[in-house]
Amino acid sequence: MELSSLLTRRRVGMAAAASTAGRLLRLGAVRAEGHCRRLRRAGLERGFLQPTSAGKDAAQKRHVAHFTFQPDRESQEHGQTQKMNLFQAVTSALDNSLAKDPTAVIFGEDVAFGGVFRCTVGLRDKYGKDRVFNTPLCEQGIVGFGIGIAVTGATAIAEIQFADYIFPAFDQIVNEAAKYRYRSGDLFNCGSLTIRSPWGCVGHGGLYHSQCPEAFFAHCPGIKVVIPRSPFQAKGLLLSCIEDKNPCIFFEPKILYRAAVEQVPVEPYTIPLSQAEVIQEGSDITLVAWGTQVHVIREVALMAREKLGVSCEIIDLRTIIPWDVDTVCKSVIKTGRLLISHEAPLTGGFASEISSTVQMLHTRRNPIHFFWEDCYLKLFSHLYHGYG
Amino acid sequence: MAAAVSAASVWRQSLAQAALLLLRRPGVRGLARSGRISFYMTNYGEEGTHVGSAAALDSTDLVFGQYREAGVLMYRDYPLELFMAQCYGNMSDPGKGRQMPVHYGCKERHFVTISSPLATQIPQAVGAAYAAKRANANRIVICYFGEGAASEGDAHAGFNFAATLECPIIFFCRNNGYAISTPTYEQYRGDGIAARGPGYGIMSIRVDGNDVFAVYNATKEARRRAVAENQPFLIEAMTYRIGHHSTSDDSSAYRSVDEVNYWDKQDHPISRLRHYLVSHGWWDEDQEKTWRKQSRKMVMEAFAQAERKLKPNPNLLFSDVYQEMPAQLRKQQESLAQHLQTYGEHYPLDHFDK
Repeated sequence: MELSSLLTRRRVGMAAAASTAGRLLRLGAVRAEGHCRRLRRAGLERGFLQPTSAGKDAAQKRHVAHFTFQPDRESQEHGQTQKMNLFQAVTSALDNSLAKDPTAVIFGEDVAFGGVFRCTVGLRDKYGKDRVFNTPLCEQGIVGFGIGIAVTGATAIAEIQFADYIFPAFDQIVNEAAKYRYRSGDLFNCGSLTIRSPWGCVGHGGLYHSQCPEAFFAHCPGIKVVIPRSPFQAKGLLLSCIEDKNPCIFFEPKILYRAAVEQVPVEPYTIPLSQAEVIQEGSDITLVAWGTQVHVIREVALMAREKLGVSCEIIDLRTIIPWDVDTVCKSVIKTGRLLISHEAPLTGGFASEISSTVQMLHTRRNPIHFFWEDCYLKLFSHLYHGYG
Repeated sequence: MAAAVSAASVWRQSLAQAALLLLRRPGVRGLARSGRISFYMTNYGEEGTHVGSAAALDSTDLVFGQYREAGVLMYRDYPLELFMAQCYGNMSDPGKGRQMPVHYGCKERHFVTISSPLATQIPQAVGAAYAAKRANANRIVICYFGEGAASEGDAHAGFNFAATLECPIIFFCRNNGYAISTPTYEQYRGDGIAARGPGYGIMSIRVDGNDVFAVYNATKEARRRAVAENQPFLIEAMTYRIGHHSTSDDSSAYRSVDEVNYWDKQDHPISRLRHYLVSHGWWDEDQEKTWRKQSRKMVMEAFAQAERKLKPNPNLLFSDVYQEMPAQLRKQQESLAQHLQTYGEHYPLDHFDK
């Protein structure tokens, strides 16, 4: 059984029954080839997939979801910290922003009472109704309005209630926000616009409260797309997006709003955009993910080490565009293998961009031998340093 | 009394000059038809809407246009040289030659750069007005659009946001009878655009767009109240698009010559203003002749100058996508540079700034 099979349990979705997962494993086993056959013949059973140990550091366990949020070690560099979940970390970032920047305003559907995910609780009382306010129910209006605020130089923080509903604003984002600076010859820009939106599957969300649309926006030069894996990352990355002089989309994994709890600095701090983070070093294979899937990958890496003796290097991409090609390529040069995993649909998903870039660079450096796994489990590509 | 009259006459003369200058711009359309610029859109017949409204604004009021408002920018003294530079996409274009002709923009004159998608500027203008309100700047925003663009969802969004968020904005609709080939009967079935305003809680007025004073008075009053009351106003200016939609259009395919001639001969905003000025003794045939000759000369000189200039440096393909250039774009820029080193002879590099 290949490494990819370890992912299918999460990949299939929260509601997948154990028998479905089992079926997938058998299919995967039938189609495996090459070095993977060795692993299969080791007689690994279906029970293989149950993690043997949660580990001393594992935090909250959700019985509905098939992952465990793993907090990072507490950061000492940014002063006093406080226990926060992800939505509280977002509130903290917004609080810091409105305190520092008198032009900053927050708007969107239902943000005034605190937001459907409680990200804006307390801010209207603290900063006033002209700075934290509801808009009519109209995403193209929300983003267009936000662009207009940003054109005057004020800071606009727009909320789209679910990433699934960002599409009416697609024209304003792609045709307007992304191109404002370029088309005007830098006479005008909307760099002080940030769009925040809950993202990703949550278990019960179905088609329209679960989407991960980052790949649609990855094809659009001029905007930045950022996805945090944790409360600490969320606050720092969101503050960077707000300060960044380009329009940014900040997707917040909604399943982590409550499930992810960490010590987060109270004061403002930033985490650089377009910098991926190697969160675990390894030597046999590079695993790339973002958002919630980082925690799935962490579990996978643990299982791979325990059961297969495989050493995984894990990269959290963090910024989808412009993405950190160097960190990923450097890692793949070291390990020789790459696996990318995301919640979003396979075809045209952002893994395609990463794998084609890495393969293109590898082709230039060395002749390589590569193959695609069968289409059903096509989550990744193997890159072998075959003729080296 | 005498002072008031002379002040008024000076003002009216400058209005006339501005309007007549616009009339002289048919030459630019000729350039497109002769292949010297790629594309052009005229403003024939709508000059009253431009000059009347622009004259009623403060010079720092922010303007969001659609694409047929060149007269507003001209009223704010945007030089002919820069109009031409944008149309030619030459190295003097402040927009760095990136857009099709008539996509003007000017930061100093508070005229936001035009973009091709229709009505996208409407909710943006509302956001800008909200920021102006918060800044207590005594500025308003004016947002121009045609009756066709008013069908877009962005128009509905903009009107609703302006009303609910109490923004000091003037929505100025140029109802010129056509959206390319689509007449108003196929664009809407209600009572035009002005009638939609009250549905949003927006005070609205319909004016004769070819009466420059009516446009001026309506805009002046709307501006005064927008600042004082922080609420939006909607002005629907009824006018007529005498020219084709653009140089890619031949409107004889969908309307009669007689219809066009009526507006050109009987209800033209510039003619109406001229008759008014002449009847008051503030303008005459000789001044008309001199001014026409002078304008034509200015415009032709600006053409010749713009045509001689080089196009922008190809490196400008890659800058300003982001404020800083990301690594991937830098690599693409280097890749192009390498390509041109080897294959440069196949490209008209002599026409481009080095």
